[in-house]
Amino acid sequence: MAASTGSFPNPYEIETPPGAEGWQEMYPYYALFDERRRESDEQRFWFWNSMHFPLPMPAFDVFCIDSPYDGIGEWQNRVFAVPPAMGIDYRCVNGYIYISGNPVTDPDKIAERAVYFQERAGYYFENWDELYGKWRVKVDAMIRELTALEVPDLPEYEPEDVVYADDRNLRFYDVLDAYSRVLRLGDLMWQYHSEFLLLGYGAYMTFSEFCKGQLPDIPDQHVAQMVAGIDVLLFRPDAELCRLARLALETGVDSAFVEGRTPAEIDAALAETDAGRAWLAELEQVKDPWFNMATGDGLYHYYGSWLDDPSIPYASLIGHVAALKAGEDIERPTEHLARERDRLAEEYGALLDAEARKGFDELLALSRTVFPYVEEHKFFCDYWFLTRWWNKIREFGALLAEHGFLEEGEDVFQLSRTEVGQALDELVLTWATGGEPLGPKHWPPIVGRRKEILERLADWTPPPALGAVPEAVNDPALVMLWGVTTERVHEWARSDDGGSGLTGTAASPGVAEGPARVVKTVGEISDVREGEILVCTITSPAWAPIFTKIRAAVTDIGGVMSHAAIVCREYGLPAVVGTGRATSRIRTGQRLRVDGSAGTVTILE
Amino acid sequence: MSHARPLADLRAADAAAFGGKSSALGELIQAGIPVPPGFAVSTTAYRAFVEAAGLDRTIEAAMARVDPGDVDSVGAASHAIGEAMRSAAVPGDVRVAIAGRYDELGQPPVAVRSSALGEDSSEATFAGQQETYLWVRGTEHVCDAVRDCWVSLYGAPAIAYRARLGAGAGEAAMGVAVQLMVDAEVSGVMFTCNPVSGDPSMVAVNASWGLGLAVVGGEVTPDDFLVSKVTGEVVREHVQPKEVEYLPDPDGRGTVRVAVPEDRRERPCLDRDALGTLVEVGRRVERYFASAQDIEWAIARGDGALFVLQSRPVTTRPADRPKPASAMSLLMGTFGAGAVEE
Repeated sequence: MAASTGSFPNPYEIETPPGAEGWQEMYPYYALFDERRRESDEQRFWFWNSMHFPLPMPAFDVFCIDSPYDGIGEWQNRVFAVPPAMGIDYRCVNGYIYISGNPVTDPDKIAERAVYFQERAGYYFENWDELYGKWRVKVDAMIRELTALEVPDLPEYEPEDVVYADDRNLRFYDVLDAYSRVLRLGDLMWQYHSEFLLLGYGAYMTFSEFCKGQLPDIPDQHVAQMVAGIDVLLFRPDAELCRLARLALETGVDSAFVEGRTPAEIDAALAETDAGRAWLAELEQVKDPWFNMATGDGLYHYYGSWLDDPSIPYASLIGHVAALKAGEDIERPTEHLARERDRLAEEYGALLDAEARKGFDELLALSRTVFPYVEEHKFFCDYWFLTRWWNKIREFGALLAEHGFLEEGEDVFQLSRTEVGQALDELVLTWATGGEPLGPKHWPPIVGRRKEILERLADWTPPPALGAVPEAVNDPALVMLWGVTTERVHEWARSDDGGSGLTGTAASPGVAEGPARVVKTVGEISDVREGEILVCTITSPAWAPIFTKIRAAVTDIGGVMSHAAIVCREYGLPAVVGTGRATSRIRTGQRLRVDGSAGTVTILE
Repeated sequence: MSHARPLADLRAADAAAFGGKSSALGELIQAGIPVPPGFAVSTTAYRAFVEAAGLDRTIEAAMARVDPGDVDSVGAASHAIGEAMRSAAVPGDVRVAIAGRYDELGQPPVAVRSSALGEDSSEATFAGQQETYLWVRGTEHVCDAVRDCWVSLYGAPAIAYRARLGAGAGEAAMGVAVQLMVDAEVSGVMFTCNPVSGDPSMVAVNASWGLGLAVVGGEVTPDDFLVSKVTGEVVREHVQPKEVEYLPDPDGRGTVRVAVPEDRRERPCLDRDALGTLVEVGRRVERYFASAQDIEWAIARGDGALFVLQSRPVTTRPADRPKPASAMSLLMGTFGAGAVEE
């Protein structure tokens, strides 16, 4: 990416918010804008990855930057050798994560990589179903291993097994082994997660671009509709909630679902009757695996699953029950969607000449082949695996807390993964030797300071981009995964003025007006009220239930192919994505007009 | 051969004798598209007229003096031929044929339109040979309007155009279509593709109040709709202030241009139902002719019935669509891996 006149802030001139001094200690040395790299770093284009990292990063959560960028970088750069782009670099500023692609500029190198890419990616595309089938098997095994992984405790005496059974390891070994295994499983997940990512999105994007070349006015949602799966795993959790809502009505326990009640209060009301208890038993059946949905896009430890925090599925149940009582249909009309999907494909195909029709049919078939991965990997990796993985880390936190190294188990996330390893090293050492641990005096003050720093950093608004304004964005990964296009970047560079409007990508058509609800953390999701316009960094399919409440959605980042945009179109809601700064410019309660066809958001007051 | 035949009897093969517009209307009727009933006047009638009045020599002499690059010489020839034609009588047998068909229609107000050879084909639209006389009433006036259409064959633009084509222009002759007048509450044009982007999945509709003159003549900025053929969704809609409309002259003959009343100016002149009907008819016409069509239409005052007034292949060249490469090379292109030979 060649640099042009920079109108983004210089990353080396960003000031630290008062009270957040020393934030750098939370992050690895290589994650900072370091003077030793200044010459190249300040010439590069960096954008805030608010799609994955909308909040300041706790020290431990940095794992979910390093590991995914290991995974995606290696697949992209060392396996498939995507010709013009290697992997993604990241830097941390005031706790927020900025990323930048590493381009390949030497034409000879690009040509050399093209040969690798054509062969290797070609093999993946040709054998996609088989490879994806194998992927499902290994991902299942990985989730099983994680679930079965035990975090040992440290009792006064080792149990008798150690003496009398064969091949028993000592606890110090088991603790360290479990910790390193849990980290490696995390890496394994990100390895799997990234395997098909670029190829999958790339196939879809190629079809989408093809359609727009041949049918310049085709609405984006028609392209998505032709490709989207019907029996999609991601919709299954909500489908199960629909079924449970109907069951509640049929068995006469619907009166328990009162707006404003907590899940515990609803459970208590249900537990009073036989029918209610039968319903709760049915709910238990549904929970595994369908409550392994995350409450947000799960790259932070804050995001639990529905199992950890049932308020989202219960809010959805309350909504579904009310809708059923009002005589509305709540299920996804799958038969209709299937018919419509085939009809659209047939009619659009028939409008093309024979040559174009061939390309259309081939790319559509390929897109449909890759789409199960595109839609399903989130459920397995980001939701099911990751929510359980954070809980595993919590178990280590509980162990450290039990021995005074932390005030509470949750504090484990204030330490980096290497610091946690260090704390565990000392814990097992002093537990083994009976010596006096320093950890209880060493770690709690560090944790306390970092919690304060994170609070300060949460109030800071990161600019959408830093460094040089690029002439063009040529990195396929940035375009495909983040929707960061040349046009969008120039829009960011221009719209630094603070007028009353925002522009983004028109992701789902229609116009809506209503009060804004700015949601920056998943905890705020339950605040969303009927008729509001959701303003967030990125909408997550895991938030599906609230889409029945809102009138429109506006996001900071994302393209028309993001899961979010697809879900919005499915719910028929206007959506404008990739505005760059909606969550910082808009305040909850302001009236907005969202034009999902034009891609504009107007702040009316 | 008869000088005049019902439109319903004509097929594409009759274009050589009756002109493109009339034969296309015959095809539309055959396809079950609602077209106002009427009849077509053959080019034989034109030739009989020229012959009977001895106009051949006048035409030949005037044309011999035309220099295609000299606007004045073209104008002079057009004027001379026009004068001669307008002072010549329509021959008796032609008059009888027209009067007979007009009687069959019940002597209603009609629209009289030129139907030139080569017109309404995708090859060329003869500039200036698109004469239309609306709200014509009575046998005498119909015959006069038919002759006025013939005169347009030697309008200045038509002469200049034919002179440029030279021998390739062929023999000049013209048919005429005479159709029952539709008292249009709304009328306009639709393309069964987006003429700007070339998207074949869209129907582009321009519409305004009253008779079609206002839209066709560019006297109003019409309401503009882009509708998906596939789902019927209106993907673009620009409602414009429509200042004027053409209505039938209250005196019974011709049309008047009036200001659109304030309350209707900024109202969309088509609702979703009307757009749906238009798109459906447009698709039927397109399917019947197996090519993108440029369709003039009108919606009748009162019962709201939709009529197609003419249809012809889209001649304006849509923006060139990218030539589709093979699926695999496009896919590789997405990743910057260049094209792969098949």
